[in-house]
Amino acid sequence: MRAIDPQNPTGLVLNIQHFCTHDGPGMRTTVFLKACSLRCNWCSNPESIHPKPEIAYDSKKCIGKKQCGFCLKPPFPEGAFYAIDGAAEDRVQVNWDLAGECGQDCASICPTGAISMFGHEMTVDEVLGEVEQDSTFYRESGGGITVSGGECLLQPDFTAALLKGAHERGINTAIETACNVPWRFVEQVLPHVDTMLHDHKLTDPVRHKKWTGVENTRILENFRKAYETFPDTQFVARTPLIPGVNDDEAHIRAVLAFIKPYKNVIDYELLPYHRFGESKYSFLGRIYEMEDFKSPTEESLAHLRSIIDEQFGRKRD
Amino acid sequence: MCRASTLCCSAWQVVGIRDGFDGLLFPDRYKDGGLLTLSQAFLETVSASAAPLLGTASCSDPFHVRTIDAENQIEELDCSDELLNKIHEQNIAAVISVVGMQPLSILFKLQRKGLNSVCVPASVENDVAVTQLSFGSNSTLSCAVELLENARHAAQSSRRVGVVEVLGEHTGWLALQAGIAVGADAILIPEIPFDVQKVSAKLLKRSDAGRYGLVVVSEGARARQGNEQETAAVHRGSLKASLAPLATGVKSAHVINRQGLTAETVALEIQHLTDLKTYPLALGQLVKGGQPSAVDRQLGIGYGAAAVRAVQEERSGVVVSFQPPDLKFVPLAEAINKIRTVPLDSLFVQTARSLGISLGD
Repeated sequence: MRAIDPQNPTGLVLNIQHFCTHDGPGMRTTVFLKACSLRCNWCSNPESIHPKPEIAYDSKKCIGKKQCGFCLKPPFPEGAFYAIDGAAEDRVQVNWDLAGECGQDCASICPTGAISMFGHEMTVDEVLGEVEQDSTFYRESGGGITVSGGECLLQPDFTAALLKGAHERGINTAIETACNVPWRFVEQVLPHVDTMLHDHKLTDPVRHKKWTGVENTRILENFRKAYETFPDTQFVARTPLIPGVNDDEAHIRAVLAFIKPYKNVIDYELLPYHRFGESKYSFLGRIYEMEDFKSPTEESLAHLRSIIDEQFGRKRD
Repeated sequence: MCRASTLCCSAWQVVGIRDGFDGLLFPDRYKDGGLLTLSQAFLETVSASAAPLLGTASCSDPFHVRTIDAENQIEELDCSDELLNKIHEQNIAAVISVVGMQPLSILFKLQRKGLNSVCVPASVENDVAVTQLSFGSNSTLSCAVELLENARHAAQSSRRVGVVEVLGEHTGWLALQAGIAVGADAILIPEIPFDVQKVSAKLLKRSDAGRYGLVVVSEGARARQGNEQETAAVHRGSLKASLAPLATGVKSAHVINRQGLTAETVALEIQHLTDLKTYPLALGQLVKGGQPSAVDRQLGIGYGAAAVRAVQEERSGVVVSFQPPDLKFVPLAEAINKIRTVPLDSLFVQTARSLGISLGD
């Protein structure tokens, strides 16, 4: 949790993405915040996990030691970047154990952008200024702002201030969350939320821990409390569908049974697994451990969606 | 520290820290505490192959310790200050770490924060650049030779080509030396990108007599550029673990074990290109299980004595380096970011070529 100046609240923002169509109703501007309290193996935004700005390196953009070599000198920490003597490869290598000490002062020196930073501080007004640029599209499409992550509820002061500010400007609000946070954070933010998109990743607590790092007991408790405490908020349950992990009918039916008693849970969406985030793992010096996993088949997706449609009394064309 | 036990000297009492630095950071995990007093009397009861005594930590990074707090939040915490405090509280004057190439960077960071440390290079791959011979590599070589002999006999009796993968993600010392020792038909190492067609041609020539053969491959061996499919397939074999910040590494339940993939890829390619039957085999961690060789026993004693001398002389942040016939001290800053690879004109490469062993090029 970050301490902020109430007069000028700031948050650690990863990215602001415009014209999003899958992050809530209508066309939306999605603000991605940094820090997450889960470690899902399939994470497509690995750059959003760490709660601090972090260095990234794209070797394809490096023009090499002969032409550049700025990263081999101060202010870069000694040994963080290095060249292999006599190697045919001129591009620099990274020692990720030492490169973690690099800050924006280092990244800004790299002339090609091979070295960059993920995450920067922004004030609520700065974010809202950018979000408001798309207000015409919100009016036309019924969209608005979505705060995502990472886990946006890990910055509750900032997220609450941002969403409150959006409401004051007449902008519809949504959040994407896994809810693995203390209830007081949820309670602080939800009064300013029109739609909460929330993840039911796995039903079984042991398997939840295996694949995300923690059990889901408190997550489910938070969901229940949220449904009951905020009856006017719309909730959309979601499952990132990972073949072999949670694409079984039993999980889908368990989620449906969980949300069924609550009328304010208006939908349940399946998000088929994809590997769009894979390249970002190498930028961060991490290994993508889901290399052998494939997207769910159309047949499997259609079957599971038909179960959900049946529950919600819908017919799909 | 990573994959080696750590010794430390406390007013010339020697204590061992269990599982790298875990014994200090998490003493509650151990029934008898995280530290083990290594008295002279106690050590006389310990056999030479007593590696499990202190344990190892293959991915121990005090700068990124994954924790789950009371609020169910996962976070990677920097416990380096806590570690240094505990070292101070235990009255540990100096830490002698027996480490491979990758953990040197972590020790370098700790040394910059004030840790008084001396490193002994230990690597079965013999890839620590600042020393000619890392502790452990000779024992591994002896064990690998024995196992490769068995693999060759198995190939002979089953009339197949054994494609045997040995440790060596970045360097091919183990494959090259062991392969020469057992008279392999081909040896594929990371330093020399291979062309599987040339390996196959060599095997066909060799196998005229008995239709069998032996190919020794390092796990990091790469197909020559220009055949993207092969390169990609073989390259995946090197993805195993990482010491990168926040990497889950070997601690994760889901790191996909790719051991044996290089052997499998090469074996399959040979079968595609020839009518030879192959069997892939990965020696993997098995080569670490043998008794220490005479060379390693002598080297270990030499390294240990030099490390104690370094502490006595109040040298800190150094790696003991074997530069025959001397043992010298090299600053940690000079030891990181370097890998001791096989020079293409090395004596071993020349020997292999003169024996008619294909290196795949």
